[in-house]
Amino acid sequence: MDIPDCEDATSALNSFKVTTIQSGHTVLLRLPSGETKGFKVEKDATVSIGRVGSFRANELIGHPYGLTYEIRGKELTVQPPHTLQEVEETDATNELINDGEFVQPLTLGEIEGLKKSGVHASDIIKAQIEQHANYSMKTEYSKEKYKQRKEAKYSKTFSTVEPTIYNVCDHWFKKDQNRIRDIRPDTLSQILNLANVRPGGRYIVVDEASGLLVSAILERLGGEGRLISICDVDSPPAYPVMTLMNFRKDVVTNIHSSLNWATAQEDYTPAVAQESSSEVGKSERHKIRLDKRKNAADTLLNAREELFAGEYDALLIASDYDPLEILQNLILYVAGSGSIVVQSPFSQPLTELQSKLRLDPSYLAPSITESWLRRYQVLPGRTHPTMNTSGSGGFLLHAIKVYDDPNASKVSSHRQSKRRKKEADGDSSVPQTLESFETTELEEEDATVADQATLLVLG
Amino acid sequence: MWSSARDIAAGDLVIIWQTRELIQPLLITPGKDLNSRFGYYRHADLVGIPYGSKVGSRNGKGFIHVLRPTPELWTMALPHRTQILYLADIAFITSWLDIKRGSSVIEAGTGSGSFSHSVARTIGSVGHLWSYEFHEARANKAREEFSLHGMADIVTLTHRNVCKDGFTVDDTVDAVFLDLPAPWDAIEHAKKALKKTSPARICCFSPCMEQVLRTVSALNDSGFTDITMFETLLRPHEVHQISPQPLTQAVEKLKKLEQKREDKRQHQIARSSKRKRDDLPETDTDNVGGKRLRTQESAEEDVGIRDIPNAVVDPGQSASQPLPIKMPVSKVSPDVRGHTSYLTFARLVPTAPSSVTIQE
Repeated sequence: MDIPDCEDATSALNSFKVTTIQSGHTVLLRLPSGETKGFKVEKDATVSIGRVGSFRANELIGHPYGLTYEIRGKELTVQPPHTLQEVEETDATNELINDGEFVQPLTLGEIEGLKKSGVHASDIIKAQIEQHANYSMKTEYSKEKYKQRKEAKYSKTFSTVEPTIYNVCDHWFKKDQNRIRDIRPDTLSQILNLANVRPGGRYIVVDEASGLLVSAILERLGGEGRLISICDVDSPPAYPVMTLMNFRKDVVTNIHSSLNWATAQEDYTPAVAQESSSEVGKSERHKIRLDKRKNAADTLLNAREELFAGEYDALLIASDYDPLEILQNLILYVAGSGSIVVQSPFSQPLTELQSKLRLDPSYLAPSITESWLRRYQVLPGRTHPTMNTSGSGGFLLHAIKVYDDPNASKVSSHRQSKRRKKEADGDSSVPQTLESFETTELEEEDATVADQATLLVLG
Repeated sequence: MWSSARDIAAGDLVIIWQTRELIQPLLITPGKDLNSRFGYYRHADLVGIPYGSKVGSRNGKGFIHVLRPTPELWTMALPHRTQILYLADIAFITSWLDIKRGSSVIEAGTGSGSFSHSVARTIGSVGHLWSYEFHEARANKAREEFSLHGMADIVTLTHRNVCKDGFTVDDTVDAVFLDLPAPWDAIEHAKKALKKTSPARICCFSPCMEQVLRTVSALNDSGFTDITMFETLLRPHEVHQISPQPLTQAVEKLKKLEQKREDKRQHQIARSSKRKRDDLPETDTDNVGGKRLRTQESAEEDVGIRDIPNAVVDPGQSASQPLPIKMPVSKVSPDVRGHTSYLTFARLVPTAPSSVTIQE
């Protein structure tokens, strides 16, 4: 088998990511059960995927993603694409099929025996069907389901899954949604669009979602632009989500810098005493160490200067820290008209944040949305929403950073006279649950709200 | 695509944000004026100020925010020539189709260009979008718009009925997006246009289930796999401030109310006995009086505690009590979009490298 030269594969226009499977990649495999798992593909190594079997990694290297394979012995054969089967309507019903009846004379031991002797999955299923007492009575739909269930159990096939940001997010959401702060693929896609993430853009991210946001932004930058992430640990964490993306390390290093909450403060000074450089006659090892230290210090200095220079296109936050404090720390560096997107698995922190931001004229139209997604099974004649679905995709707050002009709010006199007129007409625009003393307070608050919409609707 | 400079310049397209419902594009043309419900502005006054500025009107009638266009703002501001796609669908489709920097994409039809702007932003100058529109006037309008927005290099717009005549490229694109009344007629053409050696994807956007079913069987017949369908929506939440009233307040109110009623009763009794002493009572009038008294009482019982203002109950005490704590709460907005379209997705499996498919 030919292994294409790595250099060749990366010289393509979109060189940020190699489009074929390479040695060293962590590849997502979809197993017959439907679940996806990441496996490291290393040249000359053997990849073992449990019950399904094992194979030589070299067989995958150089292949495009998305193919389905069957393991026979240690060899892989590419399977033709699976298409949907039209199911014939018959008169069969389950009228005479009772639960708990003895229908399968084939014992577990016999099936194990067949598997061990290397009988193909389709032949085992065929044997089971032949022995099954009631199989012929089943409806065609039910037969189809039965076969699928057995295939998931015995088949020795798998597919490679392309590490798109959608697939990686979907994989993590199903595997451990807590670790990615319940960010569902649809929510992630909204975050990226709301933050206007584009090639060449500059972004600040606070990612406590195992690197999902960092990965997604890097993927969308595609090697062009700038990303500064701010974390609460000493040095940039190794993001588990990023492992699956198979980015080229050198390209990532070029566009991504990391600071922590201490080094992101403008008044931060390193806690180390200055070492005198006058000492001569150091060992080579010591010199290398000093160089390394100096490099790290330079990198940090550059990242800090870059952050403080500001004018970022957007700020993206998925963090457990107080979102208002994060904003107070970083809003300065967001450009005018830039986007602020805050994600939370809970509505309360965003509700509280929104109630504060609407009083701050630096934030235009802070709004909260919850994402809703429904998946359908679309088998011919059997189209319906899937039985199991995720309850919520989490919450987002989006706002636009603006520059206030306190002198520009002169609309108030005009508005208040209108309000008085409306009140005289007996029309109370204040919700019934609010007590009367709040009405006056609301009026005062409104005057400071940047969004004229609320003003005029109320007024 | 659009200015990335800090400050607004003459000739820039900006977004004028007046209210959430009133967002409009504006081409900065010094010499021209902007007149709206929120006052009168000169374009020339906006030149040189930073994007994101709040600007007061010249006649003191209000203010506007001048924003940098983004595809998301454009979707809210664009002139509608057709039904358009909104954020939730656009974002989800982009993600599923893996549209990113450098992607080659087909869209049909162009419509009002809401999706086109988002795709052009996401693929950048190294990517390409082939957009097809069968309505000639709409195609011309969109072409004009793309060129005005600096997208002419990224987007190739063709006036064509793709269901009849197919697309203009073969084996070229990573993703196809079909927003057509009869997408099934374009699926074979789409397959031709998609790349064969790397993963390729398709999305069909249809409002009706009947369309989905026909699309699914056409996709299946053309050899697409992993056919799946989604619906996605955004549920906007609105934030309110509530202050739960302490229950003790209700208890106090009720107690005072009862006391007041009792006081009144005693007062009435005192008055009627005084009347009895003053002039000799006639049995009839006494009965009438008694009846009237009872009706008054029952009417008073009907008065709910909410009708009695705090101040009346106890002016002294409520002043000394701390104000109830206000609590920000949210609920889903009562009027939300319930359905846009069904998103049918499928994948085209790349051809395997010939060297390895040999079976033992």
